[in-house]
Amino acid sequence: MAVDLEKILRPVDNPVPPFPPKYMMLAGGEEMVIRQVTRDEIPDILQHVEPLIHVERDYYDVVAARLYSELLAYYRYRVQDEYVLVAQINGELVAVVNGRLLSKDVGMSYHTVALRRGLRVGAHAFATKMEYHIDIIGQKEVLVVAESPIGFRRWMIEYELEKRFHIAHELGGVPSWALTKELFNRARETLVVGRRPVPQHLLEKAQAAILPPTDPPKAPVDLLAATRSLYDSTGTALMSQRWKQEGKA
Amino acid sequence: MREVYVVGIGITSFTRLEYPLSEIAAFPAMVALKDAGLSKVDHVYVANMGSARLNHQTGLASAVVDTLSLTPAGAEVIENGPASGASAIKQGFMAVASGLHDTVLVTSAERLREVNNLEATDVVASLSHPLAEYIYGVTLPSLAAMFTRLYMQKYGVTERHLAMVAVKNHDNALLNFFAHLHEKITLEGILDSPEAMTNNPYVAEPLRFFDCCPVSDGGAAVILASAEVAKQLNKPMIRLAGVGQATDTHCVHERAEPTDLLAVRGAAAKAFQMAGVSPSDVNVAELHDAFTILEIVESEEVGFFKKGEGHLALERGETRLGGRLPINTSGGLKAKGHPVGATGVGQAHEIVLQLRGEADKRQVKDARIGFTCNFGGFGNNVVCLVFKREN
Amino acid sequence: MALEIYAYQCKKCGQLHYPFRMVCKKCGNLEPFEFNTVALPKNGKLLTFTTVHNLPPDFNVAKLSLGIVELENGMRITGQLKVPSPKIGMAVSGKVEIVREAEYSKNFGMVFYPA
Repeated sequence: MAVDLEKILRPVDNPVPPFPPKYMMLAGGEEMVIRQVTRDEIPDILQHVEPLIHVERDYYDVVAARLYSELLAYYRYRVQDEYVLVAQINGELVAVVNGRLLSKDVGMSYHTVALRRGLRVGAHAFATKMEYHIDIIGQKEVLVVAESPIGFRRWMIEYELEKRFHIAHELGGVPSWALTKELFNRARETLVVGRRPVPQHLLEKAQAAILPPTDPPKAPVDLLAATRSLYDSTGTALMSQRWKQEGKA
Repeated sequence: MREVYVVGIGITSFTRLEYPLSEIAAFPAMVALKDAGLSKVDHVYVANMGSARLNHQTGLASAVVDTLSLTPAGAEVIENGPASGASAIKQGFMAVASGLHDTVLVTSAERLREVNNLEATDVVASLSHPLAEYIYGVTLPSLAAMFTRLYMQKYGVTERHLAMVAVKNHDNALLNFFAHLHEKITLEGILDSPEAMTNNPYVAEPLRFFDCCPVSDGGAAVILASAEVAKQLNKPMIRLAGVGQATDTHCVHERAEPTDLLAVRGAAAKAFQMAGVSPSDVNVAELHDAFTILEIVESEEVGFFKKGEGHLALERGETRLGGRLPINTSGGLKAKGHPVGATGVGQAHEIVLQLRGEADKRQVKDARIGFTCNFGGFGNNVVCLVFKREN
Repeated sequence: MALEIYAYQCKKCGQLHYPFRMVCKKCGNLEPFEFNTVALPKNGKLLTFTTVHNLPPDFNVAKLSLGIVELENGMRITGQLKVPSPKIGMAVSGKVEIVREAEYSKNFGMVFYPA
């Protein structure tokens, strides 16, 4: 009986072409690989998403909590037609993006989370997600919403998205915005980048292991601790900052 | 006029600071008081540009002086746009030089990140002429961009020169614990790779993302004192030897020669004259590089290089650490950050650190004379300072 | 009626100013209200320009072009630019239009088009 019930509960994915990996150079000269991950790699990502649930800044908490559930549902076969792309620098996880197909022609964008900030990592990952929907799967439009003001400025304003307010987005049931094929073509030159094929050594490094982010977003801490430590010969100010981050204080 | 010395300095990290504005001003002041070995001062100046609109707080100086328990010392806010910091130092200088006070605390704070980026842009844009500039959507980056386009055409400055300023200042900021951006960037990443134009998009053409300073919170403080007080404090004797200020038309379009920054030229000349030194005597300088072009142009207008040749000196590496005249060793506004009203005091902090020989990995060897240029509006109100080490 | 933007001419020495100022820049006359209004010419050449991509919240567009124009009488003005591919030195012609709207307030200013 249990086996039969699982057959009912487990959705059957529609066949779609896989995402061909690509790479790009960031402002600091590092090369970032964006590739699709398999279900087996999801636990490697989850452990780096979980800490962000506690970062009450720029809506990382909301986004990470939702992303966590989406990744888990994908891993445990409780969501239909989902895919997950990751961005890596030397194997290090720097961004996660995901989404699903609403229908053959319409995509539903889920989340974009940057684990390293300030280098447009998130912007590149979002553009890549749109490229997957429009160019590779061949959809007509993708429904998008933003949870954070940063996301709103990036997606709704930079891409000049169209309103689809009669459609409730799967993230929170809020009115949707749409990136159409036409809008994507207009943004292509300035916002969509990447080179293919990915050189073998870069791809191998990325596939070998999803390494932890070196400088993930953290909850607000004592930002004056750096100053204090200069005049604090015992160094406790900096240590207490570190303890706070490690959850010991 | 009495001689004026810098006897104490303090600073916060320039970043996003989630503290009340008065604490951002008070913290570096505490550090500076401790550095000087003083517990009381005669007067307090607080440099700030936008507290009323950004942080919903007015009368900041009264809050700061009390939170520091320095009452009943006199206290005022000094607002002069992005040049508020150096203006406040100038006020402190006048108070000590005139003999009115013996010790003056000049502190500063700005908390721009209490509002979102678009609003912060709007607050800063309100520096422009309300009817002849602001209403059109003029922002500070747009004024700098129109200026840059003319400069490129006239003097052969290219996007590569601008990017070289950014790379240099980001490198310097990596050596500065308090800098906002600890991010290595490369010419390939922001200019040459196929992805560079997306990594480094236009903010206001031809200025790109990495040509513009970040939006920062932060505070910095210096304590000024008379020679008698300074001698008792057993610190390196750093004299504030020259102070110069000049203004220019409010509207950028009214300037006779649009590629000149006459207020920079005038303010620097006055500061050098008062200090009795020439631009070639300077060992280390902090210039107001809110946009990369400004570092190049100011280096010419203050007299370090001939007009139209600043970018050539940059090419030769004269302005980087280890060069003939290192500029913006702190990372400058570009990478150290630009908490608008606090920036000028932050510049003075860096110069004093350099002249004391306490700048650690970014120390300029044997620095004896330092210079700062704090640029208000788009060059319509500029304050320059010259510092000299005397022992 | 065509809308105009005015320059201010000193009654004493004839010097033109834009924008308005209280005291003449040339002769420094301190008598109040000593200016006549003179409509600024509409045609001129583009001195410099930019396209701004990060605009204050009042503007509901992704980008906006601005320029400084040297008018026929030698005076300069900052304005918005509606020119497909602007070049330094090109001839432009201005119209007074709404340049900024925030809630109930409308601001009129000069918008330049190709001449």
